[in-house]
Amino acid sequence: MLRFVLRRIVYIIPTLIAVSLISFFVIALPPGDFVDRMAIEAAKKGDYMTGAEIEALRSAYGLDQPLLTQYWRWITDIVTRGDFGYSFSWQMPVSNLIWQRLGLTTILSLASLVFIWIVAIPIGINSAVRRYSLQDYVFTTLGFFGVAVPNFLLALVLMYVAYAHFGQAVGGLFSPQYIEAPWSIDRVLDLLGHLWIPMVVLGTAGTASVIRTIRANLIDELPKPYVMAARSKGMGEARLLIKYPVRQALNPFVSGMNDIFVDLVSGSTIVSIVLGLQTTGPLLLDALKTQDMHMAASFILMLSVLGVIGTLVSDLLLAWLDPRIRYAQG
Amino acid sequence: MIKKPTIAIMAGYLAATALTAVPVVPALAQDTPAAQCSAYAEAPQLADQVAAGDLPTVGERLPVNPLVIEPADEIGVYGGEFQDRWGGGRIAEMRHYGYEPLVRWSVDGSEVVPGVAESWEVSDDATTYTFRLREGMKWSDGEDFTADDIRYWWENVETNAKINPRGPRDIFVVNGEPMTLTVIDDYTVGMSWSQPYGLLLQQLATPYGQRVVMFPEHYVSQFDIDLNPEGVAEMMEEAGETDYTAWWRANVGSYDDAAQFNDPDRPSVMAWIPTEPYADKQRFSFVRNPYYFKIDSECQQLPYLDAHTWTLSQDAEVDLLAALQGDVSMSGRNVSIPQNRAVFVDGQEQGDYRLVSADTCDFNTAIVWFSMNHPDETKAEVFQNLDFRAGLSHAINRPEIIDVVYLGQGEPFQAAPLPNSPFYNEKLATQYTEFDMDTANEYLDKILPERGADGMRLGPDGEPFSFRVGINADFKPDSVDVFQLVERTWREAGVDVTMDYRADDLHGTYVNDPERDAVVWVGENGCGQLPLLNASRLINDGGTTQWGNWDNWRAWDQERLGVTLDVPEGTEPVEPPANIARLYELRAMIPTTVGDEQTALMNEFNDLLAEEFLAIGIATPGGFYRSVDNNIHNVPQPLIEGWYYPGPAPANFEAFFYRED
Repeated sequence: MLRFVLRRIVYIIPTLIAVSLISFFVIALPPGDFVDRMAIEAAKKGDYMTGAEIEALRSAYGLDQPLLTQYWRWITDIVTRGDFGYSFSWQMPVSNLIWQRLGLTTILSLASLVFIWIVAIPIGINSAVRRYSLQDYVFTTLGFFGVAVPNFLLALVLMYVAYAHFGQAVGGLFSPQYIEAPWSIDRVLDLLGHLWIPMVVLGTAGTASVIRTIRANLIDELPKPYVMAARSKGMGEARLLIKYPVRQALNPFVSGMNDIFVDLVSGSTIVSIVLGLQTTGPLLLDALKTQDMHMAASFILMLSVLGVIGTLVSDLLLAWLDPRIRYAQG
Repeated sequence: MIKKPTIAIMAGYLAATALTAVPVVPALAQDTPAAQCSAYAEAPQLADQVAAGDLPTVGERLPVNPLVIEPADEIGVYGGEFQDRWGGGRIAEMRHYGYEPLVRWSVDGSEVVPGVAESWEVSDDATTYTFRLREGMKWSDGEDFTADDIRYWWENVETNAKINPRGPRDIFVVNGEPMTLTVIDDYTVGMSWSQPYGLLLQQLATPYGQRVVMFPEHYVSQFDIDLNPEGVAEMMEEAGETDYTAWWRANVGSYDDAAQFNDPDRPSVMAWIPTEPYADKQRFSFVRNPYYFKIDSECQQLPYLDAHTWTLSQDAEVDLLAALQGDVSMSGRNVSIPQNRAVFVDGQEQGDYRLVSADTCDFNTAIVWFSMNHPDETKAEVFQNLDFRAGLSHAINRPEIIDVVYLGQGEPFQAAPLPNSPFYNEKLATQYTEFDMDTANEYLDKILPERGADGMRLGPDGEPFSFRVGINADFKPDSVDVFQLVERTWREAGVDVTMDYRADDLHGTYVNDPERDAVVWVGENGCGQLPLLNASRLINDGGTTQWGNWDNWRAWDQERLGVTLDVPEGTEPVEPPANIARLYELRAMIPTTVGDEQTALMNEFNDLLAEEFLAIGIATPGGFYRSVDNNIHNVPQPLIEGWYYPGPAPANFEAFFYRED
């Protein structure tokens, strides 16, 4: 087991180097750079930038250097000083911007995850066990709707409902008076009052796919001999179900858990924009659109780190859950 | 996602009431009606601080001669907040906050009136402007505002290449000659050139004039690398920054930089000032500046509102809902568009707001500029041909476009000053606007008579003639709809045109491509006196952006003026046809003249434009408005949107007040 863990960790290093390189270069691929972007914004509001100004800013931001040099400066700052560089468009250190948003993003992601588990796992099991029953059809239909309806559309509809029928201040995770307030019971209650829309929106699609996965896996497991053997020994149906086939059926679910870590940074971007949530998604999108090099590259690097850690954790969980994997790889 | 308000969406037709004819240069000093005040009143919070001994009395805080603001409707009461939205990054673009220049536009935009300067004199030959500052006026930290602060801005910021690499802004430069700034005494400052400059006052009232009064020497000089080399080195070290220009932008900031208002210790002359750094906040308030230099007509110090509060928001739909719920004091430009009018009208009762109509200084929703100096000779020949442009213009169904895209708001219009401007030129504004395919074909037959087997016209060289039009779909989504309709009728006329709708970046690249055929952009600054400041734009010159490729002509013009060439390398100067050469000459002459002479040159400029018909316009923008919280009073009606008139900022936000009725 230890060797397995160590080997996994060693794999991470070259992966991260490759990812950071590729992400930095891909961000630089589209035409123009951040200073060009500033010129476009200036033109949009009726202003303009002169050629001399553009050149001077480009050199001030180091954008006139070869890409490899820029990358080297950025990555050495991160590795040696933990400095993710400066966001050109926000004109402040990237780390100031990212960390405070990660908190809310985590809350939101965990909330929707819990929502998904609470709703999806029982329904999935129920649908599998009572296959082709009325409730199976109902949930299957709902599930397909959940998968098919785009999240942002659901967000817009719920926002309108909240506005038109509940008179609730929509947009954002807090009422105005609590946005910059210190944490208190009232602020938590206010957060819960706002959290339900994004939670339901983000949870719906996830719920639908989890129901489908669990149902399909469980249906595969149910007719297997070990289930029959357990049943023939007179084991209670509920206990049997939870202890053996459900555990098997959760297998792909666990291996998909690494996505959750990625979602912490990138997921739900469109929903967050539509709902005006101060999570990391909109910040990343904006950084990509404005070619805010350090911000975008740092985000993607962080996303990759989380993705890699997520994969590691889900691998370990799987290895623990399913000894076959451990032996095959070990 | 609309993050920053876009000018163009906000265009609108200018009502005849606003921005009416005006004297071109106010040659005499403007007398502020001296306030007949024996004592001044102040906000209760400030009175408390005075009583506690934390603040000098209001009389000591105000200048000897405060600026008197006549409120739009009534004398207000103290209290309340202005609720605003913020897209992140810099705080504002002067449209809701930050417009306190030396001299400013009057509310209706018809004239330039005193601001930080209480009066001015212009020498008879218009070479020297002498501004009188307000004696006893203070920065928001209580230090005196003097002529030295303006000298500091000019010498240490505006002309300091380390901070401002672009060099002095063109409004301070006449034919390549930068302004000479003279401090005459503590409260008198002179701006002069060796040649006449007829547009300084209007230019100072545009957003670019604000910079003159933004640099308190006693505070900002600590960030100057020449004045405080060790201190700056230390601060840069601390910030981990090695480049001074980049560090300044990020930590001190001039003009539009986000850092500019982010430092709560930095004194300003604004009505509301920050109390903490806001850059990473999602909601923050600027509070009343106790030293603000304006009073109402009953001797109460302004502003009435306690604070100006911003909430971070990065999505137009969220902004719209917030406005509908009455969570903002005034809806933003990005959502107050004709398409949203119905939902705004419906929500008035629930959201407890009213709609205030907003006129606009934009003179056209979309203008097509052609590459007259296209490297392809056939294309250049066709684009330069008046019949070609006239034919295309007749082949645009403007009434349909106005009905379908602009919901019936606006009139067919070319690239021209608006009807309420003293420089309105009917021929320039309305010629070739009629939709008539027969006339269109007649004109087009003169230059592209032959047609190919597919019915499409052939070029003068006998080859199929086709061209592409570049449209920035991010900037003005409405222009995508417009040019889909235009494409249809142009193709009906046998013109093989392709419309390229691109996102910001790709469009930006296209506009710099010498091979571009034609580009669409909005028409701004067409009301009142603004056309005087806008001649460049009417000859396809948007600063560093030229929508069509006119590089050979521009090179000729720059060579003629003896200025540094600012054209792509290897561009040959080519003398344009006589009328266009004259337009370039007039553009350079207009700023250097005054009074009737200036008016005559401007009229000649417009006559020549009408004769040459250089660009094709679509329609005047119309149907704009703002929702205003019913508890916010003194909002003038109508508001005016614009850029050189940075509407609605000149509407005296400091005189807005809050009262629950």
